[in-house]
Amino acid sequence: MIDDIVPLASAQGRRRRTDRRFARHVRATAEAYALLAPSLIGFLLFLVAPIFGVAGLSLFDWNLMGAPSFVGLDNYRELAADPDAWRSLFNTVYYVLLNIPAQTVLALLLALALNRRLRGGRVFRVAFVLPWMAMPVALGIVWSWIFDPRHGVVNQVLGMVGIDGPNWLTDPAWAMPVIASVNVWQYTGYTMLILLAGLQAIPHQLYEAAAIDGTTPVQRFFMITLPLLRPSLFFVLVTNTIGSFQVFDTVFVMTQGGPGGATDVLNFHIYQQGFQLFRAGFASALAMVLFGLILLVTAAQFLYFRKRTVYDFS
Amino acid sequence: MAALLTVAACGGGSDDSGSSGGVVTLRYAMWDEVQKPPIEQSIREFEKAHPNIKVQIELNSWNDYWSKLQTQLVGRSAPDVFWDHVSYFPKFGKEGVLTDLAPLIAQDKVDTSGYDPKLAEGWKVDGKVYGLPKDWDTIGLFYSAKALKDAGLTPADLDGLTWNPTDGGTFVKTLRKLTVDENGKRADEPGFDPGKVKQYGLAMQAPTGQQDWWNFALQNGCELQDKPWGRWTIDQPACVQAIQFVQDLRLKYHVAVPATVTNPPNGPSLDQVVGRGEAATAMDGSWMLRAFDTALPDGGFGVADLPAGPVGRGSVYNGLTEAIYSGTKHPKEAWELLKWLTSEKHQKAVAQAGAVWPGISSLNDVFAEAWKAKGVDVTGFKKAAEGTTMGYPLTEAADTYNVKALDIFNQVWLGQMTAQDAAKKINDEANAAIK
Repeated sequence: MIDDIVPLASAQGRRRRTDRRFARHVRATAEAYALLAPSLIGFLLFLVAPIFGVAGLSLFDWNLMGAPSFVGLDNYRELAADPDAWRSLFNTVYYVLLNIPAQTVLALLLALALNRRLRGGRVFRVAFVLPWMAMPVALGIVWSWIFDPRHGVVNQVLGMVGIDGPNWLTDPAWAMPVIASVNVWQYTGYTMLILLAGLQAIPHQLYEAAAIDGTTPVQRFFMITLPLLRPSLFFVLVTNTIGSFQVFDTVFVMTQGGPGGATDVLNFHIYQQGFQLFRAGFASALAMVLFGLILLVTAAQFLYFRKRTVYDFS
Repeated sequence: MAALLTVAACGGGSDDSGSSGGVVTLRYAMWDEVQKPPIEQSIREFEKAHPNIKVQIELNSWNDYWSKLQTQLVGRSAPDVFWDHVSYFPKFGKEGVLTDLAPLIAQDKVDTSGYDPKLAEGWKVDGKVYGLPKDWDTIGLFYSAKALKDAGLTPADLDGLTWNPTDGGTFVKTLRKLTVDENGKRADEPGFDPGKVKQYGLAMQAPTGQQDWWNFALQNGCELQDKPWGRWTIDQPACVQAIQFVQDLRLKYHVAVPATVTNPPNGPSLDQVVGRGEAATAMDGSWMLRAFDTALPDGGFGVADLPAGPVGRGSVYNGLTEAIYSGTKHPKEAWELLKWLTSEKHQKAVAQAGAVWPGISSLNDVFAEAWKAKGVDVTGFKKAAEGTTMGYPLTEAADTYNVKALDIFNQVWLGQMTAQDAAKKINDEANAAIK
């Protein structure tokens, strides 16, 4: 540009240059924001605003019909003393503990298996990801049939080997494991896909070098694969954990929180308080607790992984 | 959590009961699948007589019906005409979401004298009429004819049974005869294995208590409330004993199907349980007749009276109304539909199909005759209605009671909570919800 051949000597010239640079910077920033605006407005309107809305609502008593009345922190106080709220918290944690380890380990094993150049490997990849694309509500209905104690496939197969299958969804001991297994089944394919991408990003030379050094496959897995897979593992663990804390559709379709509250997870409890008992304020307080809980767990995962993650080797 | 706002917001301003070309589409909401076919058929006739009105039926199970309806009410997009239940009527009356039919009745000179006064009166407040009777129901003891025969019993043996909280009385004795283990041993025979029962004497399942412990409560002198619109009193000893008795039938006497099988909302309906031969009898409502008729072979079932308790006989008595949403965009057409649904012609058609006892008293015989033709004597339901009855509690806390009952009583039937603890918990929570 013409400006650039103006002699650099004078201070005035230098200032003018800085001014121009600043103006250019401002313009560039403005352009960026203009381009970002649609999604930014959406983000503020549909994500940030509702969070503040719910936080505000949690200080009110409101049945959705009449006028809301301000009650301060009463909803939170009631929540802390409510055994059913605590039960839903424990149920949620139980579900996460059933779901996440099983799903991650299974997905990792599948990813390792599919990382080899198999004939027809792609077919398997697609097959494993298919459940992830299906509607959770439809899946819930189908799985309810599959787990039907009389006519369901599960008990019929068990019957063939002489096992008297339980009443899966009406027995409080089994209902939650069934819900968890349905979700493991649904999301393992997706997790596997992310881990597979992570595996394929690991440079092959490392394995070759390690092999020359005389390592065993098990050593190579723990010393190369696992450390280099950490970014992918971190990603799936964080997103899947958040998703698991928010489990709702499967519970809603398959058990409605029952039997006897055995699958009453936090998100279902929020729904029940909000839309069955019409206590919008109390439901909002519960939602804030769930929000805080997820924030806490996610932060802990971030801290743990940041210390131990080696990024990008390619 | 954003769902809270989204769902509340998305109802607003939606206008799905639209009209085009002078034809108005009305939405009519109900919860009972069994009653839908005859009602639908009759509504087709109504549409023929009213070419400018189309009726769209919205069916939701009892467990979803009320949260859906109330969410729609909040979003001002409720169905134009819907089934209403006494347990929700107090709240709806207060929130002003029901149309007062009194001026319409006066204007069209509708004769309301044909309705059972016991039904019609409950829906009037300060001269306002919030619905016209659709039907009524009581609870009876459905039995499988085959199971009775196999036990060497006759239907007459089920008459005059009594129960008490101490030893269960002749009711439990009879149920023992009807309970058979996998080796063919009956519960009153030596060597009976309560861990491996093939057929239980009794099946029970109730989301609220209407089909199970409320009946025993009434027969034991328990009052669920201190007065209509009053406070819940189910922590009283007579009520706790009734709850205990239902638990005992399962866990102590081993004559009732375990809750791990029948637990709502996932357990199979009782007609299925009896139809499969897993239970010999079931306590259920008169609206279930068509379901039992389908699940069992012709002549395969009958209905006996409920047993009598320490203070006598009795059954829960209930009735529904057809109501008009006060925010309907088509009040004139909705009133036409409601008039049809509560007319003698419509209720006769539904009674003839054996769906429900009609709201119009003179049609009771039509219903009884329809079942007599099929070889089922249903007069016991009517006898029960004329005897000692208990209506649904009138309360503003129906939501809380219904949601909590489903959760808490499940736990009692599973043996995870005592009758006393459950009664206290549900009583406290439901009373706390009364404003």
